[in-house]
Amino acid sequence: MKRSYVGVIGMCAILLLNIIFTQLLVHQFFYQNYDAVLIYTGINIILFPIAILIYKKESRKGGRISG
Amino acid sequence: MTERNGKIPKKDDNYTHNINKNNERQIDRRGFMKVVAGAAGVFAVASLPWGGIAAKELMGLADKEYPRQKITDLKDIAVGDSVTFSFPSEHDDALLIRLAEDKFVAYQNACTHLRCPVYWVKDEQEMICPCHHGKFDAETGAPVAGPPRRPLPEIVVEVDGGAVYAVRVRRYEA
Repeated sequence: MKRSYVGVIGMCAILLLNIIFTQLLVHQFFYQNYDAVLIYTGINIILFPIAILIYKKESRKGGRISG
Repeated sequence: MTERNGKIPKKDDNYTHNINKNNERQIDRRGFMKVVAGAAGVFAVASLPWGGIAAKELMGLADKEYPRQKITDLKDIAVGDSVTFSFPSEHDDALLIRLAEDKFVAYQNACTHLRCPVYWVKDEQEMICPCHHGKFDAETGAPVAGPPRRPLPEIVVEVDGGAVYAVRVRRYEA
């Protein structure tokens, strides 16, 4: 069955953004730019429900899943 | 015994990975999605302590109070000169600079790069770290050149009855 890879690609993008923003978060914390730290923390937290949303959406779509 | 062992193919003759299951090392789409969603959760939770500490610093809850300490008498420091002292403990070297008649600034003078002592160079009107030529702005304590990226912690000073006192250490605010 041919399937779209939108969900997988979206998930990869979220993982990438998570890594980027965590790195920025730690750097800005070190440089004591605390308002930037708060922004990156917020982004990282918001990315989690988005990931869950994509996961739910994808698992509802799939009827036949092997394994 | 030797006969039976001889029948086991060489690649399967081991104790640790002796069960073959179809596709045991493969990950399907749903498994991958699950792992990444879980990773996003881990990232979110891991960000919380950083955000918490940042919020605490921004709200000023981390400011500590120290007993006020006399640095020098007014007559001993001319405009443009500096005096070294230590505040809050005797191991925290600090630098008081008189920028104008009634403008005093003080910073803990351990360079934020590798903690070399930072000096006030009167001719250049800059604080300079001799180790790697880091420079700091005397008005704010912000790094302006060289390797340091964080500002010097500022010490709040008070002029009272012909003497200068150190009151508390302030976080850099820009």
